[in-house]
Amino acid sequence: MSLLKVTGLCAGYGPARVLHGLDLAVEPGEVVVMLGANGAGKTTTMRALSGLIPHTGTVVLDGTPLDGLGAPEIVAAGVSLVPQGRGTFSHLSVMDNLKVGAALRKDADGIAADIDTWCGVFPILARRAKQEAGTLSGGEQQMLAVARALMSRPKLLLCDEPSLGLAPKIVAELFEVLGEVNRTQGTALLLVEQNADLALGLASRVYLLEVGRVVAEGDADRFRGDESIRRAYLGL
Amino acid sequence: MDIFLERLFDGVTNGTVYAIMALALVVVFRGTGTINFAQGEMALFTTYIAWALTTQDVPVWAAALVACAVGFVLGAVTERTLIRPVRRRNDMATLIVALGLFTAFNALAGLLFDSETKTMPGLFPGGQEDYFAVAGTRLYFDALGVWLVVAVLIGLVFALFNRTRLGLHMRAVADNPESAALSGVRTGRILMLGWGLAGIIGSLAGILIAPLSSQQLSLTTMFPILIYASAAALFGGLDSPIGAVVGGLAIGLLEAMITGYVDFVGGALQQTAALVVIVLILLFRPTGLFGTRQMERL
Repeated sequence: MSLLKVTGLCAGYGPARVLHGLDLAVEPGEVVVMLGANGAGKTTTMRALSGLIPHTGTVVLDGTPLDGLGAPEIVAAGVSLVPQGRGTFSHLSVMDNLKVGAALRKDADGIAADIDTWCGVFPILARRAKQEAGTLSGGEQQMLAVARALMSRPKLLLCDEPSLGLAPKIVAELFEVLGEVNRTQGTALLLVEQNADLALGLASRVYLLEVGRVVAEGDADRFRGDESIRRAYLGL
Repeated sequence: MDIFLERLFDGVTNGTVYAIMALALVVVFRGTGTINFAQGEMALFTTYIAWALTTQDVPVWAAALVACAVGFVLGAVTERTLIRPVRRRNDMATLIVALGLFTAFNALAGLLFDSETKTMPGLFPGGQEDYFAVAGTRLYFDALGVWLVVAVLIGLVFALFNRTRLGLHMRAVADNPESAALSGVRTGRILMLGWGLAGIIGSLAGILIAPLSSQQLSLTTMFPILIYASAAALFGGLDSPIGAVVGGLAIGLLEAMITGYVDFVGGALQQTAALVVIVLILLFRPTGLFGTRQMERL
């Protein structure tokens, strides 16, 4: 059974419909990337899946329907989003950011252990633990946003353009960590990424979006190798 | 020297009350992004409830507790039923609802308790002989009691914000509501609790100030206090609890000193004079002393 099964997803902003019946699936432990031009509906998909905007169609996680649930309930079900841009609390300390990420958990020991784990994975967070998140660099903030999202121990981590506005070296580091999280924790990843080459390196499967629908899907290897697809859709 | 100390004590007493009222405004502002102009009248209403209970031989401390509980419910219910439905539209709608509530609570208090001035019993002994002598000046127990209650309250609010999970979640919602929701924080519930908390703080402000106010408890008691508290919150920075406390004290002291030492500012210009000073300060520091957020939302 798929970890995430999305069928006929429609969503938008007020009268503006962005998604027109989108289908996708993520298997347990899988890394999947959504590619597509600006306006294809990648971010809207992420926002609908995480309960920030309402949708029609069905979203099922591990056999449990998520339709009609708000963002906190969806986090409780095991889906966590690293939103595009600022996903941190800029006036809260790095440590407090991580604690808010564990808002739904009651296991104080487990929370402390996870904070230690992520401070080990992202050493910069340990060094800046008491600093306000807003004083961190863009790359550091993105690392914090990812760690914050992981604090809820999601089965599925959604990342909306984690590389946006970051230096190539930082992006490479971030993707390395995302791969490591996937391998060591078994967390499935669904990524939206403009940096197609990098995303294809991490992902095992690809969905190609165009005006609110999936127009192609397949193994990442096939996309990497297929020159016509690369030229037509990925601008490479 | 004696007269200076007397003015200092007066200023601190009024200032502490402005401070906690300002704290109530800041708690709401951080979550909702608007000043709740009805905060003073909600406090007036619950203070009337406390007064009504004392006329039925309920001890004043118990009456105060009941009023605070009513203040909590009133704040929470107001957020849930009146503010939340309009909040998504824009901040102006929230402001208009708050102004509507301002008149509604005042009218309701007038309707239920008539417009006669009431004598609200104090929480502390307020007799002529209940004082310490400090360098020859009388520091009355009731003023000192207000200082203590306010100091404890401020300590509790800061502990709530900085030492508890609920407080952490409140700060998170104030900072970035979307990321808070994405972390599993139920933002609606947090906002409701914030309004409830502001209701408690406001009620306490009303109960503390009514016995000391020259107006006693009447339908106009809380309005000037709300004005001062708004000024204090603006002065300290609308999103800063520390700013509210510092701002409240500063305004209380300014008011006492200006009216005391500047001859041409009599009772009539008292409010204006303090506010002019605030306006001057805000000209140079628009976000207030401790404010961080950009104020474009207002």
